[in-house]
Amino acid sequence: MSSSVVTLNVNGESREFLCRPGTTLLDALRDSLSLTAAKKGCAQGSCGTCTVLVEGRAVFACLVPVETIGSRPVETLEGLAAGEALHPLQAAFIEGFATQCGFCTSGMILAAKALLRASPDPTRADVVRAISGNVCRCTGYEAIVDAILMAAARLRKTATRKRAAE
Amino acid sequence: MLRAIDVPQTAAQALNSLARARDAAVLAGGTTVMPRVQAGDSGIGALVSLGRLKLDRIEAKGERITIGAATTLAAMAEHKALGFLGGAIESVGSPTLRNLATIGGNLFMKQPYGDLAVCLLALDAALTVVSKKGARKIPIAAFLAKGIGRDAIVTAIGFTRPAKGSWFYRKAMRRAQNSAAIVAIAAHLPQAKGRIDDARIALGGCGERPVRAAAAEQALQGARLDAASIAAAAALLAKDAEPFTDAYASAWYRARVLPVHFRRAVFGE
Repeated sequence: MSSSVVTLNVNGESREFLCRPGTTLLDALRDSLSLTAAKKGCAQGSCGTCTVLVEGRAVFACLVPVETIGSRPVETLEGLAAGEALHPLQAAFIEGFATQCGFCTSGMILAAKALLRASPDPTRADVVRAISGNVCRCTGYEAIVDAILMAAARLRKTATRKRAAE
Repeated sequence: MLRAIDVPQTAAQALNSLARARDAAVLAGGTTVMPRVQAGDSGIGALVSLGRLKLDRIEAKGERITIGAATTLAAMAEHKALGFLGGAIESVGSPTLRNLATIGGNLFMKQPYGDLAVCLLALDAALTVVSKKGARKIPIAAFLAKGIGRDAIVTAIGFTRPAKGSWFYRKAMRRAQNSAAIVAIAAHLPQAKGRIDDARIALGGCGERPVRAAAAEQALQGARLDAASIAAAAALLAKDAEPFTDAYASAWYRARVLPVHFRRAVFGE
């Protein structure tokens, strides 16, 4: 049971750390890299609180051994804000009171980010589907769905403005 | 507790790695194996990942489809040739889970999970299995009955795409998203000159593994696809089904709703 050195590309930075065989991405993020936004709820792939992006796709970090990731980029909630400027999803969650206890928030936002990357103009049903792997223990789903739709609308507006400016 | 994880580049290396430890297990998407490992009492001491074996390709040559065993359900859902499986894929877990879960892994699930295995049984799929003796093809029915032994790896799954209008699928769930099956039904009902010829019906939630509904299939041979023939076949499903009780539904309930969902599957109700 010898530990080995693993290198991961997390939030655009190359991070190197020592880990035991089969360490999950979630444990590596939280325990080795001090990135604690992704939460450990069930460690069974059922609750979604550990959702992060690998190559832009949402995955349960508790199910992914770090040795299997290779050079694929990992994105966590800590990588979303640009300095002090929140990502539109983060801003919409705050404005829309979409966080109650906050335990599911990181996973919800990353599942939403993966959705908006693939479909920038989602329907309410699309949003419900996208977060169907994420449990909110406060059952605050309506506000979360509203916030994601609000962020999607803002992101589309920004994209339209950018295109017009060009 | 895990001693080792291997991420080999070739099937030969993977087979060597599997043979090296009696307590080694194959790791594909990790959605079933990793929860067991994390629970701490899995008895799994080593993992052999299929992640770098390039088993994630989908080939469509005419109507013949071959899917690498480590292809994710999400990748399958995005492939044009697999549109007929869209409903079945969508019924498995959540989009996040489907980004990890693989078609090969789905074959090893115990019911009421493993909805794609139900579909593959109705498609009479052939599995490519590699072991130290070489590669061989085995019908999915033989795989479901006997397994492949611990020194072998499923590398691909092949089947012929059903003709338009001959494929039917329905999964009864406790909620619209992210639920295991109460019952799942996949049916291939091809017709020649208006008569059903060579029906294949597979059931989920009706035994530890997906099962063929042989009595109902026989009843449909040569019949027209109509309300009467489907009702007669539905009444025979119980002959091949052994529904069980779990947290999702009781055996009684599964048996009760099975014929109803079969009818709904066929008529899209």
